[in-house]
Parts: sequence; C-alpha cells; structure tokens
Amino acid sequence: MTGGEILFQADNISKTFGGLKAVNDVSFALRAGIVTTLVGPNGAGKTTLFNAMTGHLVPDQGSVTFLGQSILGLPHWKVARLGIGRTFQDLKLFSHMTVLENVTTATESGSWLWQTGGRASKAARIERIERALDAAQLQPRRDTRAVDLSYAERKFLSIARIMASGARLWLLDEPASGLDRSSYDRFLSVLRNEVKSGVTICIIEHNLDIVQSISDRIAFLDQGKLLAEGEPKTILSDPALAAIYFGERAQ
Amino acid sequence: MTTYIINLAILIGINAILAVTLNFILGYAGIFSLAHAIFFGIGAYTAAVLAMKFGADFVVATAAGMVLSGVISLALALPALRVRGEYFVAASLGLQMLALTVFSEWKSVTGGIGGLIGIPPARLFGVDVSDPVWFLCLTLACLAITLLVILMLVRSSFGRNLKAIRDDETAASALGKNVALLKTLAVMVSSAFAAVAGSLYAFYLSFINVESFILEVSVQIIAMVIIGGTATLIGPVIGAVIVLLLPALLTYIPYLPPTEIGSIQQMIYGLAMVLLMIFRPSGLWGYGSDTQKKGAQ
Repeated sequence: MTGGEILFQADNISKTFGGLKAVNDVSFALRAGIVTTLVGPNGAGKTTLFNAMTGHLVPDQGSVTFLGQSILGLPHWKVARLGIGRTFQDLKLFSHMTVLENVTTATESGSWLWQTGGRASKAARIERIERALDAAQLQPRRDTRAVDLSYAERKFLSIARIMASGARLWLLDEPASGLDRSSYDRFLSVLRNEVKSGVTICIIEHNLDIVQSISDRIAFLDQGKLLAEGEPKTILSDPALAAIYFGERAQ
Repeated sequence: MTTYIINLAILIGINAILAVTLNFILGYAGIFSLAHAIFFGIGAYTAAVLAMKFGADFVVATAAGMVLSGVISLALALPALRVRGEYFVAASLGLQMLALTVFSEWKSVTGGIGGLIGIPPARLFGVDVSDPVWFLCLTLACLAITLLVILMLVRSSFGRNLKAIRDDETAASALGKNVALLKTLAVMVSSAFAAVAGSLYAFYLSFINVESFILEVSVQIIAMVIIGGTATLIGPVIGAVIVLLLPALLTYIPYLPPTEIGSIQQMIYGLAMVLLMIFRPSGLWGYGSDTQKKGAQ
C-alpha cells in the first residue's frame, strides 16, 4: 500500500548533539492514510527524528513541511494545532487528572478562559471524547485518575488522548511496548480502525511482529541515517538490514 | 470578646482570599510564587491611596487595585514563565524584594516605612461600612465571590489546561496548549484577586505599612495552602483558619509566658509542616481523604 497525497515531508534533516550526529541528512515522506514504521537499533535516531518532526527539537539543517507548509522552527504547540499529534515512550499522561479530564483537555487547545466555537464546537468535542473513550474501552474507568490505571490502560489512554485531539498525523513512540498479547491485538485493531477513517500514522516500534502486522511502509534507520525505505516484505527480508538490527553490523 | 472574635474572623477571611488565590496558581498550575504578599500590598496601597486622595468607594478602589496588580504581575509572568519552575521561584523572590523596596522608599505614595495612616472606612454604594459586623459580611462576600470565580475557572477548559500543564508541561504543549500564555493568564487572575484581600485589609485596619507585605507573609500564605491542601477549593480556607487561630489559641494555654508565644508558634508551624509532609503530603483537605477522593480537582 503506497498511500495517498504526501502529508509530511522531511528533506535533508540533520541534528547534532555535541560530537554525536543523532540524525544525519535524513529525507523521507509520510503519505496520507497509511502506517509508516520507523525501525532500527537503539540509538538509531528514531526519537530524535520524531522530536525534529514535531518542533520539540529544531534541526541543524533541512526542511520540514506538513500539508505543503513549512513547520520548521514553529513551537511544538503550534505544530500540534496544525494536526500533528504524538505520544511519548514514557506516556506523559496527566497523572492527577481523571481519564475523562485527560481526554477532554486533549480537545481544548484554546488558551483563553473559554473555548471558542460555541455550541456546535462543544458538541463536536463531546462526540470526539466519547468516541475516543469507547474505542479505548475506557468508559468504565472515566472517573479514575490516570495514576491509578493499569499499565495497559495507560497505554490506551495515551491513544484515546491523541484520538480526541483530532490530529490528522499521529506519531507514536513505541506505543505497544510492554503490552500483553491480547492487549496489543486490541491496540493494533484500534490503530487499524483509525487508519481506515483517514488518520495517518508513523510508529517507532521494536517488536517485529507488530511491525509486520501493522506497517504499510517501513523506514530503516541506523546511526542517524536512513538506510532503506519501502514495503515491509522488502525491508524485513533484507539480510543486511536484519544483521544491523540484531547487532551483527556489516563490515 | 465578641469584637475580638469578629476581628479574628475578618483577618481569617482576608487571609483565606490570599490562600485561595495563591492555590489557584500553586495547586492547579504548579506555579510556585514567593511574591504573593506583593500583590496583596499593591491592592492595599492602591485602595488606600484612592480612598484617601479621591474618596473612592470600595468597589472602585478594589477594581483599580485588581487591574494594577494584574498588570504588574505581567512584569513577573511574561519573562519568567517562559522558563521552567525553579526560575519562576527565583524571579518571584526578586519581585518580592524589589517591590518591598519600592513600598518602603516611594514615600510620596506609600508613606515609606511609616505607611499610610487614616485610611477612611470602606464606602459601598454611598454607605460607610465601619461596623465590624458589616465589614465581616463584606469580607465573607468577597471570599465567596473569589471562591466562586476560582471554582468556575477550575472546572472550565482553562482549569483543565492549567492542571495538564501542572502534571506534564511537555505533553500539554504537544496537545497544542500555549503553556506560556496559559500560565501568564493564571498568574494575572491570581494576582488580581489577591489585590481584593489587600483592599479589604487597608479599609479594615485604616493603616497599612510595609511590614504587612514582607517575605514572611508570602511564606505564611504558602503554609496556609500546603497545610490545608493544594488543588482543593476548601483546603486553603482551612489552612488560613488554622494558621491564624494558632497564635490566638496559644494565648489561652496557662503558664505560657506571652513573650515566648511567637517562638512556640514557629516551632508548631515547623513541626506541623514536617508531619504533614511525612503523613499527608497533599494537606489536611487534600487528595487522599475519604471526603475528597471523588471531588479532588
């Protein structure tokens, strides 16, 4: 599956920390309506690339566009308002807020004392909240504080939050790590449904079962460089990439 | 005796307004300010000057204090809130010291160290509120309005945004929240309502000087919030009651030399804070008590 229009485009991005080139001249595109997975060994630069894509880090060079508009240098809250949502490896839930509050606040990006848009906008926000809670099967836990949820429930809350935000492009950083088999099957089913409804997803994932079962495209990174990009069967069957992934670096 | 109790109740009401407004930024937004007494002072001096020089009534004097306090809070909030928590604490301490110097040195307006004497009684809709019972009613009405406004804000999207920032600033901005603007607005609201307490204080005592707005007062307001319970509506009110009743209750303990009451009070505050941090870090009314498990914000 090759996807539709180009939603997101990064050209020649580099980011250096001291003497370490965490991302080195990476160019790639995310097409609408598909799942693209970033794979690579630890330290490959996947999370740094996410941070550069969302404005959490400003690349030293290169350009980043979303829907044809440059987002380079924009603060991350402005990038989020354009429709790029993300989750974090450590989830970063609002621990002392309830599940309902976590999801509700994801729909409220207006900074003033009230949200603009009147009743129609409020009704649309409520619909998004209920839909996200249903999809994540968190309705029975809606009044529970995030800190009191189980690990799997927290993972689903992070997805419910991004779902409610209305983001068009989701960047998910190891969203299924630590989930048991039945939870991650359910998790993948939620993601598939969202992709069907038009969301574009880019995932960082280490579990190759998940990578294989959800990806439409795979981008392989190592030591900050994009080594290959293509369909899952092509990337996953490449012995050279497999050797790098499993630590047998090619000489 | 009755006059004494009414006096105590008025001071508790005024301090409760300060604690509730500080809790709005400390408990709900995670902003730790050491300058709350300064906004209390701005409200007091503004109301006193307007009443003494222009005969302004309570509403006008208080509203002017709120506006001035809110605007001056921008001087603290705009640069300091763009950075993370500890820098704001340092900046607020700087404002506390700087503003205190202005209070004590700007003699033509503040009366300097000697302060302002002879502030007229509060006038509300053409009637002097000089009777202590009526002034208590005015204080409680102001406290009720402050609580109502804070409650509405906390339950609104604005309140949820602040709590999100308190819990995780990075995640909040990743959801499109303009963290610096939201925190600036929160500080403005908190500072403006602290000025209401200042106005009440000036009109009630008919005398103010710089001693009422020193760093120790800011710390005492923080103690009220922490003892009562952060991020709860009623906790700071309970904290204000406890902190103000303690010295009054100590005077009733037999054989306690009056000259030692101050030291004993400090020891009790210190002990209470240590015990609370160990056994009840969210305060007496904070999350964790059975009554609050469902209602904690």
